[in-house]
Amino acid sequence: MTSRRVLVVAALVLALLPLGLPLFAMTLAIEALILGLFAMSLDLMVGYTRLFSFGHAAAYGLGAYTAGNLLLHTDIPVVFAVLLASAFSGIVAIGIGWVCTLATGISFSMLTLAIAQLLYAVAFKWTPVTGASDGLAGIPRTPGPFGLTWFQSKIGFYYLVLACLIAAFVFCRSLVASPFGAVLRGIRENEAKTQSLGYNTRRYKIAVVAIAYALGGLAGALYAAFAGFTNTELLFWLLSGQVLIMVIIGGAGTLVGPIIGAIFFLLVQQYLSSYTESWALFFGLIFIFFVVCVPQGLLGLVGGRRAGGTV
Amino acid sequence: MALLEIDLLSRRFGGLVAVDEVSMRVAEGEVRAVIGPNGAGKSTLFHLITGVLRPTAGEVRFDGERMTGLSAHRICQRGVSRTFQLTALFPEMTARENARLAAQARGARRWQPYGGDAIFAAADRRGDAALERLGLTDVAHRPAGLLSHGDQRLLEVAMGLAQQPRLLLLDEPTQGLSVEETAQAVDTLASLLADGGLTVLLVEHDMEVVFRLAHRITVLHRGAVIADDVPAAVRADPAVQDAYLGGIE
Amino acid sequence: MDFFGFLITQCLNALSEAALLFFLGVGLTLIFGIMRIINFAHGAFFMLGAYVGYSAVQVTGSFWGALLVAPLVVGGVGAAFELGILRRLYGRDGSAFLMVTFGLTLVMGEVIRLAWGVAALNVPLPQSLSGIVFILDEPFPIYRLFLAGAGVVVALVIWQFLERTRLGLLIRATSQNAEMVHALGTDVRLVRSAVFGIGCGLAGIGGVFAAPLVTASLGMAPNAVIDTFVIVIIGGMGSFLGSAIAAVLVGFVQVFGTYYFPDLALALMYLLMLLVLVVRPGGLLGKEA
Repeated sequence: MTSRRVLVVAALVLALLPLGLPLFAMTLAIEALILGLFAMSLDLMVGYTRLFSFGHAAAYGLGAYTAGNLLLHTDIPVVFAVLLASAFSGIVAIGIGWVCTLATGISFSMLTLAIAQLLYAVAFKWTPVTGASDGLAGIPRTPGPFGLTWFQSKIGFYYLVLACLIAAFVFCRSLVASPFGAVLRGIRENEAKTQSLGYNTRRYKIAVVAIAYALGGLAGALYAAFAGFTNTELLFWLLSGQVLIMVIIGGAGTLVGPIIGAIFFLLVQQYLSSYTESWALFFGLIFIFFVVCVPQGLLGLVGGRRAGGTV
Repeated sequence: MALLEIDLLSRRFGGLVAVDEVSMRVAEGEVRAVIGPNGAGKSTLFHLITGVLRPTAGEVRFDGERMTGLSAHRICQRGVSRTFQLTALFPEMTARENARLAAQARGARRWQPYGGDAIFAAADRRGDAALERLGLTDVAHRPAGLLSHGDQRLLEVAMGLAQQPRLLLLDEPTQGLSVEETAQAVDTLASLLADGGLTVLLVEHDMEVVFRLAHRITVLHRGAVIADDVPAAVRADPAVQDAYLGGIE
Repeated sequence: MDFFGFLITQCLNALSEAALLFFLGVGLTLIFGIMRIINFAHGAFFMLGAYVGYSAVQVTGSFWGALLVAPLVVGGVGAAFELGILRRLYGRDGSAFLMVTFGLTLVMGEVIRLAWGVAALNVPLPQSLSGIVFILDEPFPIYRLFLAGAGVVVALVIWQFLERTRLGLLIRATSQNAEMVHALGTDVRLVRSAVFGIGCGLAGIGGVFAAPLVTASLGMAPNAVIDTFVIVIIGGMGSFLGSAIAAVLVGFVQVFGTYYFPDLALALMYLLMLLVLVVRPGGLLGKEA
């Protein structure tokens, strides 16, 4: 576990970032933090419970579209809309988790993909709620409560995202260190044994899926409020794959690693795409390189090898 | 009333009858060995008792209550713990953490998603006590995957013990151990069982181990019970000798 | 519209769809059965086959030539990837293969885009296969008939290959006990490369067959990947017969489902997969639950 001191310093740096960065760079910073939250949420499943999800975009999309609809059609302030969207994603995910945990291993992964694709297919057609292939547009960052308009500014929204990320991080850290987290670890290392010890492992898996989707949904909701639009790309399997890459490259099972992985991904994407249109090509190569040669991820590389990588 | 009552328990796999109308009564505090040649159905019987497999016929009753058909984790929660023939541990966790996770399962709020200091402390107490009884305190901080094979087998038993079960099923605890390791393990198990208070069902191949530890022996052959008696009687039973030594199918 | 004519043509339609799905599924199930590798890039190989087929037709002017060239090229690429990258991952956790083949999908997608461009490419049919034929007064495209037939033929060929030839025997043996095969003197690594190559080649030939119907496009890979996995999951990982049965099942569900419930078209396949997994978590003929 990353030391508390390092984390506090990192949090301070992030909090002071707006003072040092020009406004246009703030957009990148906000996106990085949102993706970091998204990746961290997946780490709960992949890194701590060995539940490989190829459909985490479903969480992102659920959060984004829910927040989008809430902000477009109600007066709920953006802060609450985002939190409600997150809660809704988590609740839907209980059902998703129930279905996916009917199977284990690769079948589980394929079920997550299938469900994400299902949602994608639905979103593509369901014009009144999702705007079909055009998506939702003109999503406002509704001010409030009490006329608070701070979040409508870029810097204000940055702090909202940062607050969400820090809160989520603290929550996750506490979760994985708790008795619940110890059971997840057991499931990760030997599910059959964990069951034979008397744990109803399926329930724990469903619970972790719900939590992961709630946090992933939070990220998606923040994105919708930030960008002002949603589209079906947010549910597409490519995004699911990208966030999985972020987790693995950053270092699965560390919470911090995936956040770093997300930042790394975004920066490399920005850098590469300014040089070439084929950044996805290089990304694929980088990813393959990491899987083959650096399985412990960036965090493992920096902080010494974590006892056994997930991949 | 016996602690464990098994009535005409059967399990078929298509045409193969793995467990054939097995009936047994195990009294509280008893150490019962289940022996038999390879393929006699011993492990399958364990799977049936612990809910890993569903029986095709018959009943299992634990402390008077029906257990047949319950899921594995439910059965464990009733107070039945087991070890496996092929070592099943959490290899990257330390021995202590292994025992703690086992003990945690029997605690009230084992699923608590925050904090947990008190829960861990209570589990550690039970886990550490179990490790000590199995002589593993010295290696408690080593990752389970790095323990010697003998210590791993003992760790499994410790995990079972940490759950403070009423019935403990040991599936070939000395499997894969060298002669010395077996002797040590048997000494440890003997002193553990001598303390009393534990009802044990033991599958074993090593007859020396069996005769040293068991109060009664049930012999299985081709899924059916062919003898059920005190060790001396079983040793002398011609049907048992036949099953082991004669009549190759 | 004559009901029997309708029924027959729709059944043939379903079989032609099943053929395409089968080409995809059998390659993946073969690779998994022998190497325990989940080839996420399978859809990308399928897509590569379509594009290579397009170019082959451009160069040779012959569709039949493309059917020959494409699987060889695609299979070659697959074998090369196995040799270069996958070999380093044996002994590692299964998820490593999943990740690496996902990376390969990204790479291949981009390479194809760079080489062939973004526009969808039309692959023309030879005269002998274009046009329609009348079955019980119902018009039916000859190509689909050809496809259905090709599916059956390939299935039989693969079956006989596995049962009768030496390599087929080695493959089946390796899937059961690789160490033994190695101990008996065969270089198991070659068998693995061969299997991966054959599996990808099958996906490639599927791509060529599909190209005239759906046109070669960059969107092929993701759709194909999911279709493939649905087939293999329904049929059971590693089961050749299972993927054949699943392909037929899904083909029929898709064709008849689309006719009766057009809006649910996409969802039907996933619902079927869900249903199968609920009833038999290992797939219809799967070996592992």
